[in-house]
Amino acid sequence: MVAAVSALALAACSGGSSDAGAEDGPVTIKVWAWYPAFQGVVDDFNKTHTDIKIEWTNAGAGQDQYTKLQTALKAGKGAPDVAMLEFQEIPTFQLTKHLVDLGKYGANDVKSSYVDWAWKQVSTGDSVYAIPVDAGPMAMLYREDLFKQYGLTVPKTWADYRAQAEKLKTASGGKSYITDFGANDGGFMTGLLWQAGAKPYTYDIADPSSIGIAANSAEAKNVFGYWDDLVKNGLSDTVAYGTTDFYNGLATGKYVTYLAAGWGPGYLQSVAKTTSGKWRAAPLPQWTEGADAQGDWGGSSFAVTDQTKHPEQAAKVAMEIFGATNTDAWKIGIDEAYLFPTATPILESDAFVKKEYEFFGGQKVNEVFVPAYNGITEFAWSPFNSYNFNQLTTTVGQAIEQKTAWTQALDTVQTNVSTYATQQGFTVK
Amino acid sequence: MTEVRSAPATAVPAVAGPPSGPAGGSRRRERAKQGAVGWLFVLPFAVLLVAFLLLPMAYALKLSLYRSTLIEGEVFAFLDNYKQAFEDPLVRQGVVRVLLFGLVQTPVMIGIALLAALLIDGATSRFSRFFRLAAFVPYAVPVVIGTLMWGFLYSGSTGPFRGLGIDFLSSGVVLASLGNIVTWQWAGYNMIVLYAALQGLPKEVYESARLDGATGTQIALRIKTPMISSALVLATLFTIMGTLQFFTEPLILRPLNPGAITEHYTPNLYAFHQAFSFQQYNYSAAISFLLGAVVFVGSYIFLFATRKRSALR
Repeated sequence: MVAAVSALALAACSGGSSDAGAEDGPVTIKVWAWYPAFQGVVDDFNKTHTDIKIEWTNAGAGQDQYTKLQTALKAGKGAPDVAMLEFQEIPTFQLTKHLVDLGKYGANDVKSSYVDWAWKQVSTGDSVYAIPVDAGPMAMLYREDLFKQYGLTVPKTWADYRAQAEKLKTASGGKSYITDFGANDGGFMTGLLWQAGAKPYTYDIADPSSIGIAANSAEAKNVFGYWDDLVKNGLSDTVAYGTTDFYNGLATGKYVTYLAAGWGPGYLQSVAKTTSGKWRAAPLPQWTEGADAQGDWGGSSFAVTDQTKHPEQAAKVAMEIFGATNTDAWKIGIDEAYLFPTATPILESDAFVKKEYEFFGGQKVNEVFVPAYNGITEFAWSPFNSYNFNQLTTTVGQAIEQKTAWTQALDTVQTNVSTYATQQGFTVK
Repeated sequence: MTEVRSAPATAVPAVAGPPSGPAGGSRRRERAKQGAVGWLFVLPFAVLLVAFLLLPMAYALKLSLYRSTLIEGEVFAFLDNYKQAFEDPLVRQGVVRVLLFGLVQTPVMIGIALLAALLIDGATSRFSRFFRLAAFVPYAVPVVIGTLMWGFLYSGSTGPFRGLGIDFLSSGVVLASLGNIVTWQWAGYNMIVLYAALQGLPKEVYESARLDGATGTQIALRIKTPMISSALVLATLFTIMGTLQFFTEPLILRPLNPGAITEHYTPNLYAFHQAFSFQQYNYSAAISFLLGAVVFVGSYIFLFATRKRSALR
């Protein structure tokens, strides 16, 4: 039933654009994206361009859109010209060769506007499969009032973070936790692994059929062992992210820190309105004292699908809609959608770095997030990320439920993913 | 449409040959015409059946015989997917879980539905009408909404039962929590089915029973219950089929605790994730057909075991 309905919807979508190119008017470029406040960005674009008209559809957030997109790409029709893809999904879509190489349409000219790690998320060599839009450098958001009340200090290392958690448990009589570990969020857990220098996958789309898998590396086990210990000692809660219980915990002071991404401040503001003015941002604690290791949680880009009839115009849309010079679009992106920009000129503009956030007591939180963003290093995703995230969330979730060792969960992930990759015909290195 | 019309036209000359008299010919022609009209009547159903059930099933069957991998593309695999499904411990866990679930869920729910139906059939006050409606209301609530609502009720931080110290969504308890939702949703529906059957019974039987000195309880258990056995069998059959295909409730509750409600929690959920999260459409089709076989065998065993009690033979 659902499939039938969405097939109809897809058919309805594809009907409109097929003959748009034949007319003399502007070329219609269909865009799928789920950014908040995106309509204003689209309207701006259409006002300033006479040759291209964007037709925007919100085809669902995350996996919902990916499922529709995969189906449309497989069917050979119904896909948009331009689609929003999160970084971790790009290899998955590129593997099936459905993304247009934007390097042929001038994408390398905008390369200099992006830092190295972000550009590498979307490209290999001169081949560019998407244009970065936003990112999610991680930092620690904390309740300043509760830190004061319980006599906590802002931790600079993970060891100190644990010590503060102990202190909090005693001081609050077990009422508050240092944080909540959302084992249902593969992006969050991967962000923590990223910071610790774990590299679960070695993969280059230039050599699509071979992959290195190291899900249970020493670095990864170190991270998961640490959190396992916090959870087993009642220092961290394990409520799933995105649930009422989680929001409730953020709003009531049950959690005194929230390990967040660059888009986190806006998100927190919307889910815990009542705590306005009480939060502050600080850099993510470090594994080694004085180090500057950072991780990323989320981030997205615009890719052009091989079903487009106007690759040149579609590439232009991908590059310009949230482009490095498009300050009007980014004004909406920053102030209304709370996106964390990837383009350096936007990122380093005063409008972003010096922006004061009332919710954070007037703190310029981007002074924390921007250096975090610049400190992120390269990271490779597997071309079967939904399977990877699912393995990670399922095994860690079960380890929490059954009170078994999280490091063992990583061994299970390693075995399962290796089996899966071999079944799929990859050469596992 | 045209096919059906043309069929008798070609058939009639063939059968209405010289040997048969004019009267026999016209009778046959009449019968052929009736046959055509009959086909016309079933046509809308037949078209829908073929287009939306048989063809998709044939397509799924074809899918299940192929294997598509990310690197090598699609190859004919014959029964490999089925073999894999048989050997997959996650499929087995799911099947065992739904069987266990059905084993507990079915008698509990049918028992509640029967009890409620007998009670409101016995009483004729205004209260009984209200009770009948109230018990039926959960069925009128869409499954998704009902499950989301229970998700809030089960919440450990805001739910009304948080004081009990039970984590309704933890792995040991969640199956019972899900069973509670299903019972809440479907008991009223089954009650109405049984109640309708009770309403259709001749009242004289009760009178003679009462004259013979039977008590209310005896009438309910010895007279009414056996007399609605075919409705009972039907309700039980639907419940068995429903529990084996358990899907929506765990899917909706899963985000609240994916560690307890894993992606392979029930076979249907597993097939769903194989197809729509991991793009394993072929394997998913094989799991679905296997589950279909389990449901068919389960239903058949039940019908066979109860064949004497029910009108369904």
